[in-house]
This record gives sequence, structure tokens and C-alpha cells, in this order.
Amino acid sequence: MKEKSYVDDIDRSVYDIRDEEKDAYRLEEGLTPAIVDKLSKEKNDPVWMQQFRLQSLQIYNEMKIPDWGPSIEGLDMAHIATYVRPNTKMQNDWKNVPQDIKDTFERLGIPEAERKSLAGVGAQYDSELVYHNVREEVAAQGVVYTDMESALHGEYADMVKKYFMKLVTPRDHKFAALHGAVWSGGSFVYVPKGVQVEIPLQSYFRLNAKGAGQFEHTLIIVDEGASLHFIEGCSAPKYNVANLHAGCVELYVKKNAKLRYSTIENWSKNMYNLNTKRALVEENGVIEWVSGSFGSHVGCLYPMSVLKGDNARMEFTGVTFAGAGQNLDTGAKVVHVGRNTSSYMNTRSISKSGGISTFRSSVVVQKGASGAKSAVNCQSLMLDSISRSDTIPAMDIRTRDAAVGHEAKIGAISNEAVFYLMSRGMSEEDARALIVSGFADNVSKELPLEYAVEMNNLIRLEMKGSIG
Amino acid sequence: MSKTIKINELPVRTWNFLGVNDAEIAWDADKAVDLGTEEFASAKDGVCHRMVMSGKEGFSRKDVHAVAHAGEALTLIQWFEGEGHLAAETHLTLEKDATLRLVQVFSANEGALSRSKVTGTCDENARLELIQVMLGKGDTYVDSHVDLNGKGASIQTDIGYLAQHHQTLDMNLSVNHFGKKTECSINAAGALKDGAVKIFRGTIDFKQGSSDSVGNEKETVLMLGDDVVNKTVPLILCAEENVVGNHGASIGEMDDATLFYFESRGIDRATAEKILARASVERVARTIGDVETEQAILNELYEGEEHDL
Repeated sequence: MKEKSYVDDIDRSVYDIRDEEKDAYRLEEGLTPAIVDKLSKEKNDPVWMQQFRLQSLQIYNEMKIPDWGPSIEGLDMAHIATYVRPNTKMQNDWKNVPQDIKDTFERLGIPEAERKSLAGVGAQYDSELVYHNVREEVAAQGVVYTDMESALHGEYADMVKKYFMKLVTPRDHKFAALHGAVWSGGSFVYVPKGVQVEIPLQSYFRLNAKGAGQFEHTLIIVDEGASLHFIEGCSAPKYNVANLHAGCVELYVKKNAKLRYSTIENWSKNMYNLNTKRALVEENGVIEWVSGSFGSHVGCLYPMSVLKGDNARMEFTGVTFAGAGQNLDTGAKVVHVGRNTSSYMNTRSISKSGGISTFRSSVVVQKGASGAKSAVNCQSLMLDSISRSDTIPAMDIRTRDAAVGHEAKIGAISNEAVFYLMSRGMSEEDARALIVSGFADNVSKELPLEYAVEMNNLIRLEMKGSIG
Repeated sequence: MSKTIKINELPVRTWNFLGVNDAEIAWDADKAVDLGTEEFASAKDGVCHRMVMSGKEGFSRKDVHAVAHAGEALTLIQWFEGEGHLAAETHLTLEKDATLRLVQVFSANEGALSRSKVTGTCDENARLELIQVMLGKGDTYVDSHVDLNGKGASIQTDIGYLAQHHQTLDMNLSVNHFGKKTECSINAAGALKDGAVKIFRGTIDFKQGSSDSVGNEKETVLMLGDDVVNKTVPLILCAEENVVGNHGASIGEMDDATLFYFESRGIDRATAEKILARASVERVARTIGDVETEQAILNELYEGEEHDL
């Protein structure tokens, strides 16, 4: 009997190792003004931030759960601890990080990556950063890479106040409001005018605590003529209760600047990943998103680019792999405001073992955005008939002088392609494996080599099966 | 008293800020004049029925039932015209090996509103041809849902539109593939002028069990006005492995190559745009296969152009 070729689930054994919880401080579960106030005091917030948190909480309570997208019924905020501080202060030497936490990051390959290929690293464990360091030569260029708390209280306090949640406001949606109320951790990056950061910075977010939420805030400002590649990774061990990630990323790309923001998301399958990312791109600026979504029970992630300046550009390259028990709703949004702006989205989705993957996009070309160009290409691969793959793009075009194109394709592995490869001596098993691996290479070829290898390991597209 | 009702609902919702999840219109169900129900049936050698869907002042509604019996063919041509707010529901039943062509031409007066809801079921090897032509008069809301139930059932949809002045065209088309080896082809093309607003929602939904099915969808929009709004939402929903679904959309003004082609033949931009706008409707009109209807459409098109002059 012919057995169907089988694509394995992602091997999560490395990510599922749990550390014993030795928290220094854990807020009680739930979301009340008293809890938010306690968090604010714990973090020694300035007055404006205290008020901002409480206003955000009020907005959160007023707003409804979105009436579109995957169900988040399993998420009960009354059972989420919004702040868990690990039993260490932030260090800039791995030797000083507690052994169990250090071991976790060693397993994830972060210190090794730092030595080999990164200009700086931030490592967050639960709600706070436990390690942060930037190479001397990069710091000497004036590049600021620090944790958000230090930025909020230090010499960049005014800059934080000027930009914090101005691009993603608490009124954006319910979970942006939640973020505004209970955010903690995250990174602040400032690249001065004209500085080219040749090798990437990376922040890694690890959520170890059971039933907790992680709400890190990433604020990056790439000043005029500067460039940066920022990499973000995340993972968590699996628990039998819901965990929540509602981070927020705000990116400011100034005139003639360029920012590439790469993410390999590998949260555990009990995670609700309701993250918000947005970039504001000025004249001649470029934002490039590279996104791999592999983990989470439910994921909603649609990085948005506002092309405000003339000739601003955006590229989004993404791959989503939805396996058993996963409902991953991913895509991108772009708003063309300036003249002669351009955007390109190129995505791949793979669904298997009952997984649901949805590509959702929005292209808005405003009336004054003359000469705008936009192209969207999304392809989905169904590996069995118990899974789902949906494509939900939308275009709102309000200028005649625009060129907007959209292409989408959903299908199974092509028998013709398998036959072609077999006719050149490949086994059917190998042919199918090669096709599925190649399907996701739009993202892997955009990542630095080390991360492309990690991503391929993550996908672990092992094909097995007897033929004939 | 009229209430605000929601129609043309997208099968799967998306961001509310886009304003595409549904359409809202004012409607007074209590005061709507019932224009009755008409029934049509196929014949062995095929038969063509023409009907005028004429709206009255205020609100009115009409029901139509059409059945194409096994192995038979039916063409039904509906011409929407008149005043007021008209809601028509057309229910189509296609038995095994039947062919049904439904032609809908929307040409109500300025200020009028035409609502058309079409539902259809197709048995084994049945073929539905849905042709919709919008002639740039009156607000038009079209909501079509077709189930391809039987093995080998198919639907071919051709939509041509011209939207102008402050007209609203709001279209929602959903094809559900239930049977194996079912086929769907959706082809929409049109031009927007002045301050026209157009929304096209097209959904190809592959249900579990619809293996070896194919769905293709394409929309081309020519933007000819500085104040036009175009919204396009082409969905593919898929719960079956062995299917192929494609959709493509192209939105923008006349490209340079096309403009060069016209100019090299002595045709200026304004005339070229007029020709292309007309062509998107003419292309569909010529597929109707009924000379009388085709000519009536062309007359309306050219008459409209003269008014514009």
C-alpha cells in the first residue's frame, strides 16, 4: 500500500526544556488598576508612564475583542501573571548570569551567535532582560543598544517619551492597550545619522514562567542615512495553561535610512502570540521585514509599514508553518502615503496535521500617494486534508496613478514537479522533501547564514514513507 | 421606517478599518412593495427568457426561481431598471448535466438602488454561467452564492462594470466547492471614473472533500478618476489538500505601453481611456449570446457617453 510522504512536526525538544521557577518577584494573576499600579511602582516608572499605563488599562477595558481572526477564547487574562522578574539583575557578562538561565540561552545558541556574528545581544528572561551587551566598536560609533528601562530612566528618557507608543497607540486595538498597561523589558536602539551597522544586533525573548505574559517593548530609531539589521528571536517551553505574548515593536526609519527587521518566532504551542509591529518610513527610507512564524497555539502577527515619505520602500518576506493544534494568522499591512512609494510582500504558508494557516494582508494607497507601486505574492502549501489554509488579502486604492498587483496560489505538492525530479534519478521521497524545503527558501535566503541554518533546523522537513 | 441593514457580508471577516466586511444600506422591509414571484424552467433544446426588473418609487422586492432540469439548458436575462430601491432574489437550481446562463444587466436610474441576491446549487456536471454587467447608473449591490455540490459541476463568472459620478458598486461573490473535480472561474474587469466607489469581494471556498477541484479568480480595475475608490478582496479558503486555487488582481491607470499603442495611432489619452472603459463592458456584453440584449447594452453605453459630452 502506498504510504503518503510525511512531513514531520518541528522538533521542539530544545525549546521545551523548562527551568525551575526561581522568580525574584511575580505579580498576582489578573488585570486591575491596583496590579498595574503595583507594576508601575515595582519598575519605578516616571509619572508620565504611570499615568500612561492606567490610561491604557482604561482603554483596554473599554475595547472589544476583535470580531475577526482566530478565536482567543482560551485566553483568560484573570489567569495571566503580567510581570515575573527573574532572580538576577541585568548583566553585561554571561559569567554573571545565573547558571540555569545561562544554560538555557547556551542551548538556544545565543552566546555563540554573539561571539560569531552579532554586534550586540539582549536576552530577556520572562519580564526582564538578564543580559545586554554591545560591541565596543559599535558603541564607539554612537550606536545606542540598551534595555528599555535604562533608556526610560537614562539620558535617552526624552527620546523614549517622544516616541513611545506614538506609532502603535493604545487605541490601536485591545492588545495594544494591554501592552501599554503592563509592558516591561524590551530593547531601545538608536543609530545616529549616517552610521552603518555592518553586523546585526539581536534580542532574544525567553518566557519560562507558567501562566505568564511577556510584554516587551522594542523601540528602534534609525536616523538619517543610517542602516541596521535587527534580529529578534523568541521561544518558550510548553505548559498546559495559556501563556500570552503581547509585545510591541515600533520602528522609525528616517530619511535615506534602512532597517531590516528579522524575526524567528518559535513560541510554545500553549502561547497566544498577539504581537504588534509597525514601522514609520520617511523619505527614501527602506524597511525590510523577514519573518518566520513556527510556534504558538494562536498567532496574530501583521507587521505594518507606513510609507510616509516620498520614495519610501517596504519589503516583507515571510514563512508560516502551522502544525497540529496551531492557528497562525499572519501577514502584513502597508499604507502608502508619500509619492512614488513601493511595497512588496512575498510569503509562503505550510499547513499540516490539522494546523490552520491564514495569510492576511492589507494594501492601502491613499489619495495623495501618486506613483505608488505595490505587489503581493502569497503561496500556500496544503500537506493533508485535515488542515486549513486561507488567504485573505485586501486592497484599498484611492489614487488613479498607482500600480497594484496581487497574486495568490494554494495547492498541494505538484505531481509534475515530483515526476520531473524522479526522472532525474531522485526517489519520490527525496523529491517531495526537496520541493517542500525549497518552498520556504524565500525567507531562509534572506537571513544570515547561521540563522538560515537554524530556521531549516526548525522546520526539520523530514520526509519518510514507503513508495509503491 | 427604514433601518440600516448589513448585506454583502464577507464569508470570513478581516480588519474593520478597511470597511470591506459588509455593506450597510437603508432598507424598509415593512414598506417594500411585493412585486411577486416568477418561475422559469429549462427546455430540452434550450430556452431563453427575458425579464425586466423594474423598481418602483420607495422600496420594492421580487423573487425569481429558475430550474434547469437534468440535461436541459436555460438562459435567463434580467434587466434591472427604474426608480427607488429594488431588492431581487434569484434562486437557481441546476440538476445533473444541466446548463444555466443567468445574465444580469444593471441600469437603474440615477439615485436608484438595485440589490440582487443570487443563490445557486449545481449537481453533477451542471454548469452555471453568470454574467453581470453594470452600466454606470444607479447604486448596485450584488450578492451571489453558488454551491458546486456535484462531481464535475462548474461555474463561469464574467463581470464587466463601468462606475462613474458618485455611484457605488458593491459586489460579493462566493463559490463553495463541495463536489470533487469542480471548477470555478471568476473574471471581473471594469473602469472607475469621477468619484465612483467600487468594492469587489470574490471568494473561492474549497470545502473538505472537494479534491481535484480548481478555482481561478482575476480582477482588472482601470482607475480613471482622481476621486475614485477601489477596494478588492479576493479570498481563497481551503480545507482540501488536492486542489488548485489562484487569484490575481491588477489595479491602476492605463499603462505606458497601452498609451503608446493608442498615441501611435493618433488617439489621445482621453479618447483611449474612453475606449478602454467601454471595452470592459463590451467584452462581457458580447459573451451574452443574445443580440437584442447586447445591442441594448451598447446603446446605453454610447448614450451615456453622449450625455457626458
